[in-house]
Amino acid sequence: MTILANTIAEVASTKRPDINKNTVIETNRLCREFGQGDTLVKALTDANITIERGEFTAIIGPSGSGKSTLLQLIGGLDTASSGDVFLDNKNISHMTGTELSDFRRDHIGFIFQAYNLIPVLSARENIEYIMLLQGISAAERKSRVDKLMHAVGLEGLGDRRPAELSGGQQQRVAVARAMVSKPSIILADEPTANLDSKTGADLLDMMKDLNEQQNMTFVFSTHDPKIMERARRIIRLVDGCVVDDERRG
Amino acid sequence: MLIVKLAFRNILRNRRRSLLTLLSMGGGFFLLCLTLSMSEGSYSNIINIFTQDHTGHVQIHKDNYLERPSLYKTINHADALIDELEQQEEVIGVAPRIYGPSLAYGKNKTFPAQVIGIDPLRESRTTRLDNKVQQGNYIPNKDSADGYFPAMIGYSLAKNLHLTIGDELVLISQGIDGSIANDLFEITAIVGDASSYERMNVYISLSAMREFLSMQGGEKSQVHELAIILASQSQARSFALKTQQQLGDSDLSVQPWQVVESSFYNSMQADKKGSYVSMGIIIFIVSIGVLNTILMGTLERTREFGVLKAIGTRPLAVFNLIMLESFVLAMISCVIGLLLALPVCIWLASSGIPMPEPIDMGGIIFDTMLGEVSWFVVLLPSAVIIISTLLVSFIPAIRAAKISPLKALQAV
Repeated sequence: MTILANTIAEVASTKRPDINKNTVIETNRLCREFGQGDTLVKALTDANITIERGEFTAIIGPSGSGKSTLLQLIGGLDTASSGDVFLDNKNISHMTGTELSDFRRDHIGFIFQAYNLIPVLSARENIEYIMLLQGISAAERKSRVDKLMHAVGLEGLGDRRPAELSGGQQQRVAVARAMVSKPSIILADEPTANLDSKTGADLLDMMKDLNEQQNMTFVFSTHDPKIMERARRIIRLVDGCVVDDERRG
Repeated sequence: MLIVKLAFRNILRNRRRSLLTLLSMGGGFFLLCLTLSMSEGSYSNIINIFTQDHTGHVQIHKDNYLERPSLYKTINHADALIDELEQQEEVIGVAPRIYGPSLAYGKNKTFPAQVIGIDPLRESRTTRLDNKVQQGNYIPNKDSADGYFPAMIGYSLAKNLHLTIGDELVLISQGIDGSIANDLFEITAIVGDASSYERMNVYISLSAMREFLSMQGGEKSQVHELAIILASQSQARSFALKTQQQLGDSDLSVQPWQVVESSFYNSMQADKKGSYVSMGIIIFIVSIGVLNTILMGTLERTREFGVLKAIGTRPLAVFNLIMLESFVLAMISCVIGLLLALPVCIWLASSGIPMPEPIDMGGIIFDTMLGEVSWFVVLLPSAVIIISTLLVSFIPAIRAAKISPLKALQAV
């Protein structure tokens, strides 16, 4: 058991020697299966993708194609049936719950379809929360929150609770929350699905600007044509398999 | 500090439910506090009654005297020991006693009697014997010079022997030197009543007792017992221990009232255990309510826990958050319960509840059930409420801490 545990720990801490310095994510024959026997469903099969720093990537495909599953595996929210995920050169596939929590806190920003803000915290506090977990000083927290509130156009709304904000405003808070810890990558799962088209377009323009100005890496799973228009790279999934990987100029 | 803020805001989130839970827990605290106050108050009252009646809070004897009393098991140099004990800060009074089982003869009847030699002044400082004189006068500090030793006789013995104040009483016993002890006494008082401790006793002065039992040769300040009254009965055990240590390797035993009156003490403990069962039922009912609230709260917030974990909150922090919420609820409920219970307990301690039928306990009328206000009465319910709340919160907290963030995010 000790040998096995040591091996797992070794694998978990292994850095890929041949990886490009700019590579944020690399997946290696990533598979995710649900159920067993007759009810076995292959949500993702042998997915090999690499995401470089500063990319603005959309993962598209019909419902059930495995977009969200891929995003969840990359974000360490789910565990692969087989294969590995390397994020910032670290294999996250074998990390424990606490290690994954710390890793997500420091390396990944999430934007969810349903915003998923903490309802009892104000907009400011929602943004500040991760920095508190990171043990960042009060002055630094204030400075970062002020800058991000300005960047996402929420100045003056910091004291409002999520229920007092519109859907678009809540999603802007979610974007600010995802960015505040300066993560390596921001994973957005259908971020515009609950927004009207104008609010969705505004939000995307804002994220595109942040991507270009701050070289922040965004990966979306989406059906939204507006995201596809803006994305510099589109990965298409069908039945859990990567069928197309298109880079735009 | 954010976790504290989160905990408070989560409690205030569903105010009606939190308020009902707080009232249920506060009510539980109130009932526990009241039950304890009545139980402790009533027992304190009874303990005060019998310790001040004759037992004292602490007694000193020759080793094994309590188990096998004997005329020969005496405390030597008792006067020096009494002087030393009376110097102690916590000591209110020390009563030396000599016991001698005797045959009492009055007019034409004979009855067995317990003859007790006392120091009248010290006895009245230590017990309520002087207050229990029904007829006549409390035994004088000096023996009369007319050849008669004064004696106080218990109510039942006086009745059985058809004796009254001024009558002669003959006592026959065995002297410490093996001789037949007999003497003539004059009754100066009748003490107690038909149910009191002293009903078959005869009280004479220490000097008369020593002469009666031929104890005047050799060690002149021999006694069988020293009964000590302290400022508070709660000091009994510690005082007994301290005094026993001070006495070192002597052949004397210093025992608190819990040992001297062990049968009463054991039955009191058994009765208290019985009342803990009813307290357990109260706690169980309160705990079910708390469990319901915490469980509902965590189930409703499953998705939120998913978000917290997804953005980097450690499982332990989620666990701590739920435990902290429960702790805050428990603390607030203790404050509410205390605010409700304290005035009632203070009233019970000062006025009490009059009993419909007063109970005669050894000649002392027990007519009011008194409460008690003490740290024990307040802290035990607080500890019970807080611990039981944390215990019932443990499972929901573990569940929330262990849940996969993905599953939690997919929860409706």
